[in-house]
Amino acid sequence: MASFPIYGVFQGDFVPHLVAVDTDDDMAQVAQAVAVHSVSRRIAPKDHRPFEVVVAGETVPLDCKFGEVVAEKALDPLDFVIVRYAS
Amino acid sequence: MTILQRDDWYDIARDVDWTLSYVDEKEAFPEQWSGIGPVPKEAWAAWDEPYRCTYRDYVSVQRDKESGAHAVREALKRANLYDRLDPAHTAASHLHMGATCFVEQMAITMQSRFCRFAPAPAWRNMGVYGMLDETRHAQLDLAFSHDLLKSDPRFDWCNKGFHTNEWGILAVRNFFDDWMLSCNVVEAAIATSLVVEHGFTNVQFIALAADAMAAGDIDFSNLLSSIQTDEARHAQAGFPTLEIMMKHDPERAQRIFDVSLWRSFRLFQTLTGTSMDYYTPLEHRKRSFKEFMLEWVITQHERVTRDLGLKHPWYWDQFLECLDHGHHAMHLGTWFWRPTLFWKPNAGVSRAERAWLNEKYPSWEESWGTLWDQIIDNVNSGAIDKTLPLTLPALCNLTQLPLGSGWNPFNLKQWKSEYKGRVYNFDSEISKWCFDIEPERYAGHLNIIDRFLTGMIQPPSVEGCLSYMSLTPDVMGDDAYNYRWAQDYRDYAKAAE
Repeated sequence: MASFPIYGVFQGDFVPHLVAVDTDDDMAQVAQAVAVHSVSRRIAPKDHRPFEVVVAGETVPLDCKFGEVVAEKALDPLDFVIVRYAS
Repeated sequence: MTILQRDDWYDIARDVDWTLSYVDEKEAFPEQWSGIGPVPKEAWAAWDEPYRCTYRDYVSVQRDKESGAHAVREALKRANLYDRLDPAHTAASHLHMGATCFVEQMAITMQSRFCRFAPAPAWRNMGVYGMLDETRHAQLDLAFSHDLLKSDPRFDWCNKGFHTNEWGILAVRNFFDDWMLSCNVVEAAIATSLVVEHGFTNVQFIALAADAMAAGDIDFSNLLSSIQTDEARHAQAGFPTLEIMMKHDPERAQRIFDVSLWRSFRLFQTLTGTSMDYYTPLEHRKRSFKEFMLEWVITQHERVTRDLGLKHPWYWDQFLECLDHGHHAMHLGTWFWRPTLFWKPNAGVSRAERAWLNEKYPSWEESWGTLWDQIIDNVNSGAIDKTLPLTLPALCNLTQLPLGSGWNPFNLKQWKSEYKGRVYNFDSEISKWCFDIEPERYAGHLNIIDRFLTGMIQPPSVEGCLSYMSLTPDVMGDDAYNYRWAQDYRDYAKAAE
């Protein structure tokens, strides 16, 4: 368990945000942590539409632990983690 | 006794040099400050300023300028003119005073360095006038701001700003620390005299002075005009320097030009783009920032490139693309993170202003309008908390500006470099290129995000950041019109029902 800073991007928003996530968080929690800075602030909310997370160009399962994604994708602190509404 | 005509003695007086015998030339003019590189010493004999100025002329003209500027200042001091100005416009004067007064102060040091380390005596001579100019500008800013302190504590930032860690100030300070205080005189003349002063601030001061006059701010307009006339003169130091560099070290000249053009443009977008397209009251806008850039800055740049043999920077197409977006991004960002400002930004997106933005920037609605729509809904439903930040935006390790602020939301992409084990992030491919060609120049600097993550900002929260930036409630940014502009949309929606 360790805090890991990322630059979270919600697709459609114009700026990434500094977001601290925990390596024990699952990607659904990461998605929420990123979305809270954009959705209903500058991005219109879409009720009941699930999120998906893209890391290093690939969609990552929401039940995956963030720490595993960090290891697998060799993420640096402050790398982009992109969240978007699932199509 | 007959007094010689100026032309009879001028060239001797301005161009006296001597052959050093007690000290080695390289010790007296060390490379780190002169920066002449492979350019032979003799080549600098051709350095020729495009105008003539003697100390006698200088003192006489400056005395008249000072008298004029202060006469208007004294006359207006008692008229309480400031208190009747549009709050959107006053934001531009707070921003200007806070962000530029100490740049003038830094410029005194840069000009002093010309006086001491410039490789041509004529250039060293000119540096004296430049140094006196910049002293006058810094003092004028302080005097005018001091008069206005009774009306608004934000004018205290004219003196205080550069002693804080406010993020915008940090971006400006970082640029000028680099191109005024830390670099050699060749770099400073090309980057600051030519690119910043001649290319940007000279025309910016003319535009800002005109906008201020139109908005009824005669005092501010008077100040800017008085300063601009000096800038127009001493900025000329860049031309002969570039001319010699183009003959003897053209690649380096091109590189200095390309890096400083991009870096100063990004600052210019932030300071002037937002003022022209959002803070200037709609009825007083003469042209958009993009139109201003194309008509004045780009045309001028193309003339310089043609006359002196420079090529367009490799990023020219991206630069032109950025004219449509960068300042809109910076404006949305500064408005949203408004508690981190020492001025009150005008949202500038009432229905009438929005129509103007769409006319001037056909892609504005798609890129920026949709984001503002959500903000407007939040304002009109009373959810002001949703229009305020919970965290920091990602920041560039070169420009110190937010990632994403150089383009539109559809082109947001990560640009990063690793140098000596540390990862650096950039707002664009161009900023990454600037870093990659001279990493040692920029490595080690900590932007606000780095300072946050290394524990320099305590407590580690938005409140901690505001305290770190010295932002107190009496100056902290908020919407210039207290959100009255959003009422426009509510009325329209009701009428449509």
